[in-house]
Amino acid sequence: MNIYDHRKKLERERTKGVPYRGVSLYCYAEELGFTMTLEDCLADMYDMGATGLEILANGHIENYPNPGEEWLENWFFLLEKYDIEPVEYGHWVDSRMIPEKQLSTKQSYEMLVRDITLASKLGFTVMRTKLGVVDEILNPVPNWREFIEMALPVAEEHNVRMCPELHQPTALKSAMVDDYVEFIEKTGTKHFGLNIDLGVFQTADRLEIPGYDDKPCQPEDMVDLLPYTYACHAKFTHMTEDLEDPTHPYKEILAVMIREQWDGCLLSEYEGKNKDVPGYSSDQLRKQHVMMRKLLGEID
Amino acid sequence: MLERSIIQQRGFRNIVDGNDITGFQVPIRLNYYRGVWMSQVRPITVTVDGTTYEGDQIAWEVSGKTIAQKDLADSTDIHWNSLDAAMLLVKKAGGLKPGIHDIEVFNEFSASYLPPRLDLMFSRPEQRRMVLVR
Repeated sequence: MNIYDHRKKLERERTKGVPYRGVSLYCYAEELGFTMTLEDCLADMYDMGATGLEILANGHIENYPNPGEEWLENWFFLLEKYDIEPVEYGHWVDSRMIPEKQLSTKQSYEMLVRDITLASKLGFTVMRTKLGVVDEILNPVPNWREFIEMALPVAEEHNVRMCPELHQPTALKSAMVDDYVEFIEKTGTKHFGLNIDLGVFQTADRLEIPGYDDKPCQPEDMVDLLPYTYACHAKFTHMTEDLEDPTHPYKEILAVMIREQWDGCLLSEYEGKNKDVPGYSSDQLRKQHVMMRKLLGEID
Repeated sequence: MLERSIIQQRGFRNIVDGNDITGFQVPIRLNYYRGVWMSQVRPITVTVDGTTYEGDQIAWEVSGKTIAQKDLADSTDIHWNSLDAAMLLVKKAGGLKPGIHDIEVFNEFSASYLPPRLDLMFSRPEQRRMVLVR
């Protein structure tokens, strides 16, 4: 299969200027490998019409970072069989990888290059680049600019965008996010951007951070960031039997995205209870996707 | 497929070298939603029926490679996939007696994207009553 043609076919089937739906395999963390195979997860997504896929490279790729030919062949076969587009490749720059040391700029760059190459080989265009952090509000390691800048030409060559995730308790209006935006504007790059985890808008049951006055962000806070946002994590922790999310304001969030004509992928991330109960995460995902279909105007 | 508990059954047996039983092996899964590089893994202890094994009494077998515990911190190029079991190879002349054993392990590993205070937060000890046949 030609991944380029496959992606074009899926793009043609989407509505322009509107976000589209996908799933992060993180949702199946307590089932994949225990009660479900990779194919089971993709078949579940097909039922939902969720065409965008996020995988976590260090875990979901057999023999990472060197998958065998047989695995690769099956990967592309499954993408085609279930109408799935590889959207986001989750990976880590493990800054504390060596005990008592911080990874050097060169070592961090080498980790990035290895993942950029593999992400591109598997057909991904966005990378959720998880940086090592140094404090409670998730400020990244001080040398992030250096190794990201070194990797930009490699990302460009492989047509991928490295995106740190903006995750609760990080506020969208904060110095950290300003730093990322400043870096993007200064370099003018299209190969480094953002992944907004929609958990930043969670209105109740938020993480408790010692010594930090944590408040939900407002959907309007996204507006200036959306041009640099290449994927979002559609975070949720509980869907009701009425198919509503009582703790994340999806109606407002998706209205802002549609108004701004943001047409990236919403990758569901279920972070609630009972992930180890067979079928539970899938049931929650299905409920969330009915909700999203309504809010995106796919159904009444 | 993996079992839910950290200590896995398949692979739990004595290690035979020629005519001698030189030890026993315990398979464990990673209690994490993604894989780790072995330099992120801290030396482990294995306790069997109240006797604790540690340090160079234990070696790791991961991705087809054997790693001495003292070399873990340097093993930045060996990856432990979260969907694969790792094997703990424990030295004990004569191995374990066939029958029931209470096994306890404590696998610790670092997660750089969490605040430094929470570096080892996914690590937890686990006990399981296991049956060794041979």
